[in-house]
Amino acid sequence: MDEQEAYTQRLKAAVHYTVSKICQSTAAECEKEMSRQAVAAIAETTFRQCEIFAKDLEAFARHAKRHTINVDDVKLLARRSTALSSHIQQKSEELAVNNQELKEKRKKNAAKRKSKEMEGNEADEAGDTEN
Amino acid sequence: ASGSILPKSYVMSIFKHFAKTKVASDVYPVVSDILQRYFDRLADDLEAYSAHAKRKTIEVEDVELLMRRQGFVTDSTPVNVLIEKFLPLEYRKLLIPVATSGNKVVPDKRR
Repeated sequence: MDEQEAYTQRLKAAVHYTVSKICQSTAAECEKEMSRQAVAAIAETTFRQCEIFAKDLEAFARHAKRHTINVDDVKLLARRSTALSSHIQQKSEELAVNNQELKEKRKKNAAKRKSKEMEGNEADEAGDTEN
Repeated sequence: ASGSILPKSYVMSIFKHFAKTKVASDVYPVVSDILQRYFDRLADDLEAYSAHAKRKTIEVEDVELLMRRQGFVTDSTPVNVLIEKFLPLEYRKLLIPVATSGNKVVPDKRR
């Protein structure tokens, strides 16, 4: 139980760190200051919201008879707030494009590697016959 | 938009039951309006959930998921508890499977 608590504390600290970074940049942008308590409250809210998100995402994935949470579940989670859901839609499209590019690159690389290997093998074979 | 979805007397009797105080009759238009919006949103959500599970038919699971999202169903209060608490016996009989003599479960489990 103690270990669990320490783990939770570590997670919370990480969340708090990131939240404070985001708060700092937002505060600088708006030229306003934020009290430490406000930042801590936002961090705690974020942490609890994550618990809710995790449970909902799990329920959505189970509902679609999957064991893996995917983009559709996240979209379903954000469906109710229009701005957020359009933002997520946009991000997911960007990700999809990026993924496709990565895949193509990998394919090309794999093809290159294969052809190189083939060449190498041929060279080896050539070497073998010479010997 | 086109009038009420449920009979006025039914809506008001339920509202009075849960309000537990005296209720003026002029709240009815407001309650009815809220109900209309509630059902609109309900339909929208259920449609999204059934589409999420790649179905065109809304099933019990969709409603259960919706009630989970609404916070009525939690890990400590499953659907059956809510059914027992809020629905009359005849509907309970339809919704909750009960084992009877001869190793039969009534009603038959779907799926």
